[in-house]
Amino acid sequence: MAADRAVSRVTRLLGIVEYLETHGATPFSELAAHFGVTVTQIEADLFLLWVSGQPGYSHGDLVDFDGSAFEQQIADVTNAQGLRQVSYSPREAAALMGALAALVATGAAPDAAQSALAKLTAAVGSVGVEVVDVPEVNAVIKDALDTSISARNAVEITYVDAQQRRTVRVVEPHRLVAIDGAGYLECYCLRADDYRTLRLDRIESARAADVMVTHPPASTLGFSLHSSFTATVRITRAGRWAVEDLPNAQLEIDGDEVVAHFPVADQEWIAGRLLAIAPHLRSVTPESLRAAVEARAEDVLAAHAV
Amino acid sequence: MAAGSAEERLLNLIIALMHARVRMTKDEIRARVAGYEREDSSWDEETAKRRKATFERMFERDKDALRKLGIPVVTVRSQAHGDDIGYRIDPSQAALPPLDFTPAESAVVALAADYWRGAALGADASQAWVKASSQIAHGQVDELPFATTSSRLSDAAAALVEAIQLRQEVAFDYASASSGDARRRVQPWKILLSRGADYLVGLDLDRVAPRTFRLSRVASDVRVTGEPGAYEVPGTLPSGLTHSSDVAGEALIAVRPETAHALRAAGTDAGTDGDWDLVRVPYAHRDDLRDQVLALGGAARVIEPEGLKDEVLGFARAAVEVCRGS
Repeated sequence: MAADRAVSRVTRLLGIVEYLETHGATPFSELAAHFGVTVTQIEADLFLLWVSGQPGYSHGDLVDFDGSAFEQQIADVTNAQGLRQVSYSPREAAALMGALAALVATGAAPDAAQSALAKLTAAVGSVGVEVVDVPEVNAVIKDALDTSISARNAVEITYVDAQQRRTVRVVEPHRLVAIDGAGYLECYCLRADDYRTLRLDRIESARAADVMVTHPPASTLGFSLHSSFTATVRITRAGRWAVEDLPNAQLEIDGDEVVAHFPVADQEWIAGRLLAIAPHLRSVTPESLRAAVEARAEDVLAAHAV
Repeated sequence: MAAGSAEERLLNLIIALMHARVRMTKDEIRARVAGYEREDSSWDEETAKRRKATFERMFERDKDALRKLGIPVVTVRSQAHGDDIGYRIDPSQAALPPLDFTPAESAVVALAADYWRGAALGADASQAWVKASSQIAHGQVDELPFATTSSRLSDAAAALVEAIQLRQEVAFDYASASSGDARRRVQPWKILLSRGADYLVGLDLDRVAPRTFRLSRVASDVRVTGEPGAYEVPGTLPSGLTHSSDVAGEALIAVRPETAHALRAAGTDAGTDGDWDLVRVPYAHRDDLRDQVLALGGAARVIEPEGLKDEVLGFARAAVEVCRGS
């Protein structure tokens, strides 16, 4: 939409003025890199600013730059006509602060997330997103992981997996990530001899191991599990929540039902999730996934038949 | 004045309204701000009327753009001139406050701005980042061994966040475990983020009582149904609504040895029953505990409450039926 394009360009125009007023004369190339646009675009932006001004639009009314610096491809504003960057709109404030709050809620975010959120809240007020019940990614474990990541040291951790099996393993930690509201450690696991993404709140202990990190970080963000097949599941709309947040899920609405197609990396985990919406399930394919769901359900029934 | 681009006109409008001594009326804006077409005395009446209507539409769009930019435009009514309206921008009120982010904070704010990529708030988030980076010196952004991605943060969350800001009533379909989909009308108060589950707290207008909704079970678009500023958000939320303090009950679960460590960590040891270990687990939402027990397959058995046990068995039977039938 043209209007939105104009809004986004004006935001950058005001940003350029704010930047020059704050940091002084700046090469075009640095402005281009800073605002993520081409040098040609920065030139066009500066020319537009140069012909803007107060009604009257004679020399002293216009935004003005140092002409000789301009010829050297350096922007140096000498009269900004009072222009500065403007504060956040309600949606912008909500987007920024909501996301920061969500990152803080994962327990994986750096401390700077909390302090940046506090500065924004002090400056523009609260936006109605609140973090409660932050997972006990306890500070000791997070510190141990942070330290090992920057020292490029392996760590020995105790981990409880999704099936609630406890293991002790040595991993090469690469970075902490927040995925869908939960904190994870991306690492290379020496026990599995493969890349793993481990949930932080399932790490029960961590201590530095006397091994250097030798495997490079995985290039992809998020789960490094590879999907092995695509599943198709038909459910009633009330069960939609269980599939719509699966990575790369595609949903087709069919009356009161939803058909979801999604890649499956961990069949057992998907089977557990489908079991959680069993009354809303209408069909499951392929056969292997259907068998996994059924076997799990039979196990539950057998356990209760004691 | 030659017809320039929309952004050129907006910039001139911003400067003009910032420098207006008291205010500028619409007629003054049209006559004096570059980018708007001035009235021409050679126009016939018909043309003058048409051009005025064009100007009015353009000016309304521009006011809307200023709102989207986050610029508060003050309207000033003049007593001397009856009912006519003038406009002004208060520069100190409009300015972005200096935030002095550290390089680490800048990095995390950049990540936050990227969080809504592809969602309804994505464009707003990148605008917010351009504004933040107007003050950050180039190169003064740390590299963090931290990254984020979200497929969960839905358009529903984005719409609710905005509705809370503007204090507007909303309506949406909600998938309830007990009663299926139902239309809910809500005055949204707050979004609570809690261990990967997000909740909306608000006044349920049909039940006339505060309620908590899981965002993941909002089963339709969130439709704004009310005017802005229609209600006040209570300063302190009624107790029992916040997830953390809300314990709805306690279950007794038998678990196989060497399994179910998360349940064990959340509960207390309650002895043994043959080959099984017993754990007493407090829970806030019975749905969550039911899902956990189901996810454990045969490694967990509900002893009490009876209702939870029935639900677990009901789910397992339903799954068997679908898998055999399909």
